[in-house]
Amino acid sequence: MQQDMVQVRDLAKSFKRQNGEAFFAVKGVSFNIGKGEIFSLLGPNGAGKTTTISMISGLLTPSRGEATIGGSSIITQPLQAKKLLGVVPQEIALYLSLSARQNLEFFGKMYSLGGAELKKRVDEVLDLIDLTERQHDKVETFSGGMKRRVNIGVGLLHRPQLIYMDEPTVGIDPQNRRRVLDTVLRLRQEMGMTVLYTSHLMEEVQEISDRVAIIDHGEIIALGTVSELIQKIGEEDRLIFNVGMQTVPDALLNKIISDTTGVSKATFERHEATEGAISDSLEIGTGQILVYAKRGRSALPHIIQITNEAGIDVYSVQVREPDLEAVFLSLTGRALRD
Amino acid sequence: MTKILTIAWKELYTTYTDRSLLLIMIVTPLALATIIGSAFSGFFGSGGDLPIRDIDVAIVNLDQGTETLNNGDVFVSVLVPPADASPETLLDNPLYELTNAVELSDADAARAAVDEGTYPAAIIIPADFSEKVSYGQNDPIQPVAIEVYASSASPVSASVIRTLAESIANQIATGNVTVQATIDAMIARAQTDPAFGLRFLSASNNDAFNPDFTPAFDPANNPLTIEQQTVTGESAITFNPLVVFGSAQAVFFMMFTALGGANSLLEERRDGTFQRQIVTPTPRIVLLLGKFLGVFLNCVIQVAFLCLALTVVGSLLEGRINFIWGNNLFLVALVVITVALASSGIGTIVAALVKTPEQGNIIGGVISLAFGVLGGAFFSVDGIPGIREFRVITPNYWGVDAFTKLAQGDQNIGLNLLVMVGIGVVFFALGVIIFNRRLNV
Repeated sequence: MQQDMVQVRDLAKSFKRQNGEAFFAVKGVSFNIGKGEIFSLLGPNGAGKTTTISMISGLLTPSRGEATIGGSSIITQPLQAKKLLGVVPQEIALYLSLSARQNLEFFGKMYSLGGAELKKRVDEVLDLIDLTERQHDKVETFSGGMKRRVNIGVGLLHRPQLIYMDEPTVGIDPQNRRRVLDTVLRLRQEMGMTVLYTSHLMEEVQEISDRVAIIDHGEIIALGTVSELIQKIGEEDRLIFNVGMQTVPDALLNKIISDTTGVSKATFERHEATEGAISDSLEIGTGQILVYAKRGRSALPHIIQITNEAGIDVYSVQVREPDLEAVFLSLTGRALRD
Repeated sequence: MTKILTIAWKELYTTYTDRSLLLIMIVTPLALATIIGSAFSGFFGSGGDLPIRDIDVAIVNLDQGTETLNNGDVFVSVLVPPADASPETLLDNPLYELTNAVELSDADAARAAVDEGTYPAAIIIPADFSEKVSYGQNDPIQPVAIEVYASSASPVSASVIRTLAESIANQIATGNVTVQATIDAMIARAQTDPAFGLRFLSASNNDAFNPDFTPAFDPANNPLTIEQQTVTGESAITFNPLVVFGSAQAVFFMMFTALGGANSLLEERRDGTFQRQIVTPTPRIVLLLGKFLGVFLNCVIQVAFLCLALTVVGSLLEGRINFIWGNNLFLVALVVITVALASSGIGTIVAALVKTPEQGNIIGGVISLAFGVLGGAFFSVDGIPGIREFRVITPNYWGVDAFTKLAQGDQNIGLNLLVMVGIGVVFFALGVIIFNRRLNV
């Protein structure tokens, strides 16, 4: 049986609002992460991902519950627990006026590394993040992607058993994003590290994760492998019909459901805010028909025929295979990026 | 301890590799102090000397005198020229040029005038002055205190007046001894030389004996010369105004450094570098101590460097090597350390109480300016009732006062050191406790 690197039990955190009223940002989450596992926390901004991780990494004191890293309690043995943990924060938490090497050396010393060992580790990390050539340049002269790599390098310096990465691909170009994801996979494959990964980008979570916990409003609403989670919504395709400013009557939606084989659900939505890639091209106020169907591509011609007969023009169509986005939408009624 | 030093070293490194910060920390105060100090001391126009003249001083003569003489009047006449004095007379007595002495009748009024800044100093001659300094066979000279009520806002002028008063009093006493000794000698000779005795008696009876003892009291005939009354290179007073202006500017700008340095902890929180340190296996107290040790060392280095640089500037302007801060290097170092500690402590408590770096910058700037004003970085507040009382809450006042005292050879700075250490330790400890508590949410 796989040993657990992280055990989280009923971890909760409350804050006080300005009016003195307490509210729970995290409402008692529990999960385990096995050694060598890539475990992702997926959820929209403000869902409680960072608060959960902040408690695990010792930045925040839990209001209740407990977490252990490698068997050491974050509450009663924080220094032991922290020795096993490497952190890659979402922001570029580096001293910009120092060079890449100086940053690595400084944080290495904070992990009690020194002398020849520190030099060796710094050289290794510089090689890993491919910045040996620029090691003596100030970080402020680096591109966003290079800064992000140094940010990751600092977290790896002391060879932690568990590395936590908080949205490490935010704000970087696709090439550097690919590089970061490859690094995550290498850490597990070559060094056997356990990775705790948070993101609101379901594509990358889906690609690298062994298991995923979907978190929303401070609670874990689903936990399992990607395929386990997709099975929860019955592996239906999602068909998105852009109908512009036209209004779709409920009668048409009912007709789509009753007359089309495999369709389980049809809804109409006005686009009110950016909803990620699937509808970024839509203008505010435009509408779309969402249809959930098994074998969606087969049902597509018939649905278009029904809408045309009802006098509704379809401007564009997208077919989305089942994914974590759909899981989240199915579980919460909202898109991940809402 | 290694981690504390690592953090402190990082703090120093990032500070001293930042050119714009160095400009604010070192170059600006050095330039300001040099310009102001030079302007006040007249360096640019008078070679190496520091010409001091026309010092306003009030004299109150309460002396009741003796049957034959009022030594208080003699004292006053040395400094206050006769109303009908000719220009030649005024030129002949260098003390008339040195001071603008005014005779007042009320001692309390004179003291109040000094408090208000009208006069840098007042000399108050006691009622028993003549009685105490008169000399006779059975009447030796007794100790007597002339009060010199001086403003610490004008240390140079006060120092000159203090020395002047002491010298004049000594000269009067010396004159009295001379007169009495002369008369005693004549009486003794008359007793042993009958012919001389008869001539002496005869002359005394017909008023032909009228010796002129004025030269015994004449400043022109005693060591009380301009040599003791000007701050020239060879004189006893070697105080350099750069000390006052330089130390005031140094402490003023150091307060910015302390508050800015402590505030950078909030910036580190905002940027995430402090959180990144927290997730390392390092106790929070170590992180805070390292940070504030760095701030403290920055302040020490800044003030120490400015002290050295101002010494160089002073020496260059004077044309000779002159350590302007006094002779006790150890005490000067102690003042540097304690004033840095006090400023760091204030920086720590401010950083602990504000919520954002922006708040810290605003509040820190206001505090630095307010303390600079109260501490005399721009002008003296000694003569401003209602404000001057608050200067004692600032490390600026205690630091500048200590530097000034040491430069004048006065090593009585125990209270200054105690106050600055107290401010530093109390605020530093409180700041660390509060900050740590705020982190522990």
